[in-house]
Amino acid sequence: MSKKTAFWIFLIGTLSSAALFLWATYDTQRQIAALSHVDKLSDEVVAGKRAFQKHNCNDCHTILGFGGYYAPDLTRVVQRVGEDGIRFRVQHPERAFANSWRKMPQQNLSDGEISDLIAFFTWVGNVNNNDWPPQDSRKRLSRGEQMMVASVGVSPGAAVFQTKGCMNCHSLHGTGGTFGPALDKIGASLSAEEIRKYVTDPKAVNPKAMMPPQKDNLTGRELEEVARFLSAQK
Amino acid sequence: MEYRSQKVAYWYFAAALPLFVLQIFLGLYLAFSYTFTVPQAVVDVFPFATARAMHTNLLVLWMLLGFMGGTYYIVPEETGSEIYSEKLAFLQLFALLAIGVTALAGFFLGWTKGRPLLEIPPPLNYFVVAGALLFLFNVGMTMVRASRWTATQGTLLGGLVFLALLYLFGIPFYRNEVVDWYYWWWVIHLWVEGAWELVTASIFAFVLMNLTGVDRQVVEKWLYVEIGLFLFTGIAGTGHHYYWIGAPRYWLWIGGIFSALEPLPIVLMLVDTMNHIKERKNPIVNRLTWTYAVGCAVMHFIGAGVWGFLHTLPQINYYTHGSQVTASHGHLAFFGAYALLNLMTFYYAMPRLKGIREYDDTRGKYGFWIMTSAMMLMGLTFGVAGVLQSYIERVLGLGFMTAQSYMRLWMGATFFLGLVFLSGVLTTVTDLLTIRPKARA
Repeated sequence: MSKKTAFWIFLIGTLSSAALFLWATYDTQRQIAALSHVDKLSDEVVAGKRAFQKHNCNDCHTILGFGGYYAPDLTRVVQRVGEDGIRFRVQHPERAFANSWRKMPQQNLSDGEISDLIAFFTWVGNVNNNDWPPQDSRKRLSRGEQMMVASVGVSPGAAVFQTKGCMNCHSLHGTGGTFGPALDKIGASLSAEEIRKYVTDPKAVNPKAMMPPQKDNLTGRELEEVARFLSAQK
Repeated sequence: MEYRSQKVAYWYFAAALPLFVLQIFLGLYLAFSYTFTVPQAVVDVFPFATARAMHTNLLVLWMLLGFMGGTYYIVPEETGSEIYSEKLAFLQLFALLAIGVTALAGFFLGWTKGRPLLEIPPPLNYFVVAGALLFLFNVGMTMVRASRWTATQGTLLGGLVFLALLYLFGIPFYRNEVVDWYYWWWVIHLWVEGAWELVTASIFAFVLMNLTGVDRQVVEKWLYVEIGLFLFTGIAGTGHHYYWIGAPRYWLWIGGIFSALEPLPIVLMLVDTMNHIKERKNPIVNRLTWTYAVGCAVMHFIGAGVWGFLHTLPQINYYTHGSQVTASHGHLAFFGAYALLNLMTFYYAMPRLKGIREYDDTRGKYGFWIMTSAMMLMGLTFGVAGVLQSYIERVLGLGFMTAQSYMRLWMGATFFLGLVFLSGVLTTVTDLLTIRPKARA
């Protein structure tokens, strides 16, 4: 091979790849409006994005999987912890993470900024992004549940508890989140029926409850199984 | 050293090295935060996010200073002329350092653009652009005036211009988060898998050519093939970042296919380096410089090539995306491809700039082996943590903090290895700054 041939390899390789890339960029720009629901991209959402950047949230948290890996991904945060959950964590991180071995800084956001942030997260949560992240996917977790029941031999209720995000906040036998109470002895104080009611809509039982309602997150069967499982924890 | 103005390079290298050390200290704080509890009072003042912004920006700053110093060293020899303006080169160095220090102080005080890796806020960014233009003008004018074009300097200039142009896409505020990430990768990906690779390939070709004495025609022929493959796989390979951001589904195909080919140019570079060394026409005088050249080619291949390939396919990336697997790859790749390349350039150029023909490489050897082994092991500990995270958090869905508690041990090991790495860095940096002739036996 001569140097001249090598130069042509360089030129053709670069130009063909660049042409494909630029064409795909043009096409992506056309499709992005529909994929990201630009019609719902309100000024409030944009203000939320500005707040998100102003407080450098993205260097601890990932969003759409990019950023710091120090704190949970925020793509589906509204689905996972609810608006009240976000509000409480941002307003009072020192209380929300009092029992956690990893802390979140108090950044003194105004109420307006927090509302904007929630609007931003709600918008991002609806972006059509090929069903990522897997842990928040409604399709995949049910498969994870089946897998656990079949292969590890746990009860269906335990599988629901482990795979539907309960452990993001609650713990059992020291494993899980510290945001909500540990549930090791929950069966001693609540019956299966009481647990089912509470989980469906916590605020209906206790108006001060922080927990997001799970009626959309869990099917009837899942609710029943997880309530039975928890009521046995005494 | 053949030209007086090459001396400028020394000051770029000397400025880059302490920044490298500082970068490692911040990295240690990050690894510490993953392992131990940092109290609320400290987190409120110096959060992880701030330290991360400093850690990554210091990386970019010291490496760019290294590239620029390398350029100022190479261009006079390649063009056979002095640099267009030495004064401009010094002015630009001070400007860059001033911007860097302002940016770091700004991060500490909460002055940030809040985009990961591109935290430098808009007003400062305009100074960055001005500094880059100054640099390109100075280098470009030197080449134009000399008008003795070679493939090596062409690639170097092309890479630097490409690098500066891409930076522009990171400056605006994007209203749409999806569009924002789309163009964020034009800076990040097209830098490290495009522009930086061009700069690296040409610096590497220059050093290899001069070290081994292999014919320019041969070295530059392979340089063309390498950069051709780098750009062919790298440009469309950007698609591997577009799987989960809300871009059309065909990116899974484009990204998957092109990035699966990305190891090819790196393999070629490795084979090529080995061949040139085998067919050397010059005797091996300073063995450590040669060790760096081979080490760079090998670690570049492992960190960027193998580690990148492992999690680039969509079926795997679905679970590993945004986990410590990425951190593992990032650390190994940056160290292998760019840290070692810069250090190789420093070990090649600094003795020459000081008029030392044969330098004492006892300390330097320890530095190289401590750094390289510690970083290789860190790649593994980050990797284990990442695999645990992917499985516990993503496959099993047990929640973020549950996964983190299982990863704690491995992040602790990373912290420990970070201390070992620091000792290697301190040895290397001291050695480079006080490099001395080999004592005659």
